[in-house]
Amino acid sequence: MNCFVENKPGVLARIVGLFSGRGYNIQSLSVGPTEDGTVSRMKIDVLGDDRVIQQIILQLRNQVNVIEVTARRKGER
Amino acid sequence: MKKKQQVTGAQALVDSLAKAGTEVLFGYPGGAVLDIFNCLPDAPFQFVLGRHEQGSVHMADGYARATGKVGVCLVTSGPGATNTVTGLATANMDGVPLVCITGQVPMAQIGTDAFQEADTTGITRAVSKHNFLVHSADELPEIVAEAFYIATHGKPGPVVIDIPKNVQQAFTTATYPERVSLRAYHPESFATSAQMTRLAKLINEAERPVIYAGGGVIASGAAKDVAALAHRAQIPVATTLMGLGSFDERDPLALRLAGMHGSAAANYAINHTDLLIALGVRFSDRVTGKLAAYAKKAKIVHVDCDPASIGKNVRVSLGIVADVKDVLTTVSSRVKAADHSAWLAQIEAWKKQRPMAYKPMHPNVIMPQQVIEAIDKATKGEAVLVTDVGQHQMWAAQYFRHNRPRRFLTSGGMGTMGFGIPAAIGAAFGRPDRKVVAVCGDGGAQMTFEELVVAVEHKLPVTFVVVNNACLGMVRQWQELFYGKRYAGSILSVRGRLANERLEQDLKYDYLPDFVKLAQAHGADAVRVIDPAKLEGAIRKAVKSDRTTLVEVIVEPRANVYPMQPGGQPVEGMIFE
Ligand SMILES: Cc1ncc(C[n+]2csc(CCOP(=O)(O)OP(=O)(O)O)c2C)c(N)n1
Ligand SMILES: [Mg+2]
Repeated sequence: MNCFVENKPGVLARIVGLFSGRGYNIQSLSVGPTEDGTVSRMKIDVLGDDRVIQQIILQLRNQVNVIEVTARRKGER
Repeated sequence: MKKKQQVTGAQALVDSLAKAGTEVLFGYPGGAVLDIFNCLPDAPFQFVLGRHEQGSVHMADGYARATGKVGVCLVTSGPGATNTVTGLATANMDGVPLVCITGQVPMAQIGTDAFQEADTTGITRAVSKHNFLVHSADELPEIVAEAFYIATHGKPGPVVIDIPKNVQQAFTTATYPERVSLRAYHPESFATSAQMTRLAKLINEAERPVIYAGGGVIASGAAKDVAALAHRAQIPVATTLMGLGSFDERDPLALRLAGMHGSAAANYAINHTDLLIALGVRFSDRVTGKLAAYAKKAKIVHVDCDPASIGKNVRVSLGIVADVKDVLTTVSSRVKAADHSAWLAQIEAWKKQRPMAYKPMHPNVIMPQQVIEAIDKATKGEAVLVTDVGQHQMWAAQYFRHNRPRRFLTSGGMGTMGFGIPAAIGAAFGRPDRKVVAVCGDGGAQMTFEELVVAVEHKLPVTFVVVNNACLGMVRQWQELFYGKRYAGSILSVRGRLANERLEQDLKYDYLPDFVKLAQAHGADAVRVIDPAKLEGAIRKAVKSDRTTLVEVIVEPRANVYPMQPGGQPVEGMIFE
């Protein structure tokens, strides 16, 4: 999952909370800057049921500080 | 240009709240918000002191539900903030717009386990729509404007603003912004004209359509549009608990409440419909029962402003992310008049076959359903009815003739006991022109009873009705039906208690507290009714009174809420007695 978010305190916790609150374990997570210093990019690898992941994506998009979310299955391009 | 005036962060907050349209501020003081309280004597809005922060949030919530405006409250750091959690969660679940200001220890002390420090943004993250920790007084006006914007746009909800004490004391020249523009938050309507055409076609082709209206209809102000569509195409209307009042139940097309304790007609109609038009709902498990069997013959159209709610619980044929009112205004001109007479005749037959009904269990004992009927009769469809949570809440949903939006306020999604008394007080501040009646259980009333003094000291003519069945009735009902009648922890009287929960048998009272004395001690008028013949008169008198009044009604303790479609069951599993 690729998540572009506003670079503000609390955003990471908010996003991680959507996974941990469902008992989902994030396999790997990296956060880094983008060319625009006010936007961060989060790469999240997570194992989970398709429907639930779809639901999480919609809820991520509902977050006030989330700009864009894209996702793909492992192995997909 | 004139030099801008410097004010403290606290003053900037109060000015911003006023600019945002705050008329009443509910709350409770403490060390971390004293700078803000110091500005309140000169504020252009009223401050209402609750008696517990949970009560203050529920008051702001009741105010918001009754008026459609944003409810605002202010509490201190640490325990003040943690006491708001239940209130925030309640508003968050039901999509109620709130702005909750919490004090915080000074920035330099955050993370040091300072006195009355709590990680408020951490704690409230999961129970609010959004929250802010303010770093500088210069940000305050903008954050307040953003908070009001977020609370009211998209699916409404509570927003928390946590303000460290040093930020309140710092000086700023920042002013309230003219407009809010949030970089990443644009709750949009994605309704396309193709979707509208499809929706109109589905409606025009349906033989057994049902409209299923929820809280989103009320939030979007679309009740009139729902009625217009229903009448034009002769479509019966069922409502969720949150949607009660979005359609007049005196209308022959009304199916009334659907779901676990819904009417048989509503649940049967949903089971047989070929087109379920779901407007502003989220298909809660309390409504659907067994998902695989839900509306199994139907195409489902789901219109909601929250993209995350569409397809979450049920599969839909057409999902439209948009404001309900916008959709109905556009689609109505394309919907053809229809009569659906065979379908409506079937529904009429179901209504006759399985009316909402109860039988007295003892000639001298009041049935709880009678209490709701007496309130309905005395208020003639004009009151705001507020409930607590439990059996009485379901009876209030079933036996009151709901007729207009924002007249039935109840904690639906969270089911928060203790909501009723403070929410009724908040509603009375918002709607001084309306009679407000609160129906509470003997259990829930004790959770926030302290707030009664707020009604008394502000001379609010609210009628509080305690439906006293000497038990935590809804828990008792589940234990009776599903747990082998083992009434652990649910019986409030001496009689009927389990042996290891036994009270002194020679206790002077069968159960405590004495709600009449308790209300009187809080300064309210109070009366107890035991005799069925005196019920209507007592309720009528209380409703007519211009003083804060409590009526304690002793009711049949063994009464259960029926019909009932037990959780996870299909509609065939409905039980009626
Ligand atoms: C804060 C809270 N705690 C527990 C519950 C679980 N609960 C749901 S209904 C109920 C019983 C309510 O009893 P009472 O207020 O007397 O109302 P009644 O059902 O008897 O009408 C309980 C304990 C709840 N909904 N909220
Ligand atoms: Mg009770």
